[in-house]
Amino acid sequence: MRNSVVRTAATIVGFLLVAALLPVCLSGFQLQQVSIAISYAIAILGLNLLMGFAGQICLAQGTLFGIGAYVTAILNATYGVHPLATLPAAAAVTALAGLVVGLPALRLQGLQLAIITFGVAAAFPQLLLKLGTWTGGVSGLPIDSLEPPAFLADYSELWLYLVSLGCACVAAMIVRLVLFGDVGRALRAQRDSSQIAEALGVNLTKTKLWAFAISSALAGLAGGVFAILNGFISPQSFLAPLSITIVIGSIVGGSTSIVGAFVGGLFITFVPTWTSNINLALGNVIYALALIGIMLLARGGVAGLVDRLTAALTTRSNPNGKAGQSAN
Amino acid sequence: MQEHIGAYLPVLAANGVSVRFGGVQALDNVSLDVGDGEICGLIGPNGAGKTTFLNAITCLTRPQRGSIQLSGRTISDAAVRDIIGLGIARTFQNVGVYGSLSVLENVMLGAHHKMGGKFVRALLNPVGAWAEEKAVRRQAEAILEELGMSALSAARADSLPYPLQKRMEIARALAAEPRLLLLDEPAGGLTHGEVSEFGKLITTIRHSRKLSILLIEHHMGLVMSLCDRIHVFHLGRNLASGRPKEIRTNEAVIAAYLGRSE
Repeated sequence: MRNSVVRTAATIVGFLLVAALLPVCLSGFQLQQVSIAISYAIAILGLNLLMGFAGQICLAQGTLFGIGAYVTAILNATYGVHPLATLPAAAAVTALAGLVVGLPALRLQGLQLAIITFGVAAAFPQLLLKLGTWTGGVSGLPIDSLEPPAFLADYSELWLYLVSLGCACVAAMIVRLVLFGDVGRALRAQRDSSQIAEALGVNLTKTKLWAFAISSALAGLAGGVFAILNGFISPQSFLAPLSITIVIGSIVGGSTSIVGAFVGGLFITFVPTWTSNINLALGNVIYALALIGIMLLARGGVAGLVDRLTAALTTRSNPNGKAGQSAN
Repeated sequence: MQEHIGAYLPVLAANGVSVRFGGVQALDNVSLDVGDGEICGLIGPNGAGKTTFLNAITCLTRPQRGSIQLSGRTISDAAVRDIIGLGIARTFQNVGVYGSLSVLENVMLGAHHKMGGKFVRALLNPVGAWAEEKAVRRQAEAILEELGMSALSAARADSLPYPLQKRMEIARALAAEPRLLLLDEPAGGLTHGEVSEFGKLITTIRHSRKLSILLIEHHMGLVMSLCDRIHVFHLGRNLASGRPKEIRTNEAVIAAYLGRSE
């Protein structure tokens, strides 16, 4: 018990330390890339709740991310709403869309659910083109650039970084609150055995739909942040493979971890570029080898590997096997 | 506290329950009752339909015919998830524990039906959720203490040996604060000494909580010493019921167990 409090505190301190050091060490462009990675991390946080803790597969997280981005862009470009003020709406609208995507989960599981949600992801870019009157079609939509406050007037990248980091902290807090206590236990219980969970009084329908709604709300928030960071969006940013990329980010980072979501976001943003920098012609091959290597080395993702290593170090002084399912 | 003055009102009353799986008549017109504060045994050779009967009570299986009442209220059409809130908690024959959760978390899940998994509250009132969590944890720790499992509360449930997992399942059922406790072969895998200790534990629990218990068990010594009354099923039918003394000498029961033909 005290152990897990210490671990959570250490994780938060470490996270803030890294977050504070990044702007010092990185160039403006790199910081901009990190901000994009953080926006993906927010979507991955949602997916971790849904996939890692609630056990539901969703291959439409990139689509929900796109819906959030378009809500922000439409509210800003068409109705002149301040970009930051669009974020709650992006989250709310996407949560509703996520509920619809999640409805089949009440009947289907696993592979069937994967295919249905991927169908949504495959249809999305063309729907955006068809709805050109709202979405601007193939030419996309611009979003007003975010004016930094006076004391950061010359540091717009830093301001964008802080905004995305702030949104990510809110998202992490939401996931932490949901995973805490009775609700979190019910989520994990229905994931591990729906029959026993039901006998224990868990409302499976309600639990699954909430998981979809919250996961989607975070995807929507993430998309809104992404739109603000980019200043421009078009259907090209939300093609079906994005949903797979986000799932990869979740699994590589560790799908039952909050910090893992950030690792995953950074991974899917930076590693493909790095691998093609190594060798342009073989970039994808190297990326694929990196993925395979990580899965062989760390089945629970990077966060799972770190957990295992710290557990191996601490059990030497403390021989009792501890249940380490607290989300850090 | 309900007072039943006059007519005897059983906690559980099942009448004429029939369950058919395809071509197999798993239960055929069985009736059974458990009185207030009673420990009832349910025995019978393999395939007698004992577990099917527990599943019918907890609505995991829907009987084609018959009625099941809890303190006079019909429950056979209730939703599975509402059963525990109505006051029936159970353990599973092949243990239904959550291996990746800690022992304490498993036990706290027993109290889930009282908290109801409220997402809105978790998000908007974390202080309230935290206070509730503390109260539930304290209650779960007290139960683990009572069952002599305090030292194991942080261990992963699947690191426990089988008999302790069964005991943990009882702790979880008690965390639900039921009126009726259904135990499906709780003494399976226990050594001789552990069985008698287990018997004492059940008696203590019953007295400290005014529980009624329906116990499926193959360990005859335990059933005979523990139960106030015993129901015997055979091939999906009622074979006999009565006090342990009567059951022990009942010709039909002996025949069923020894496989003697009539």
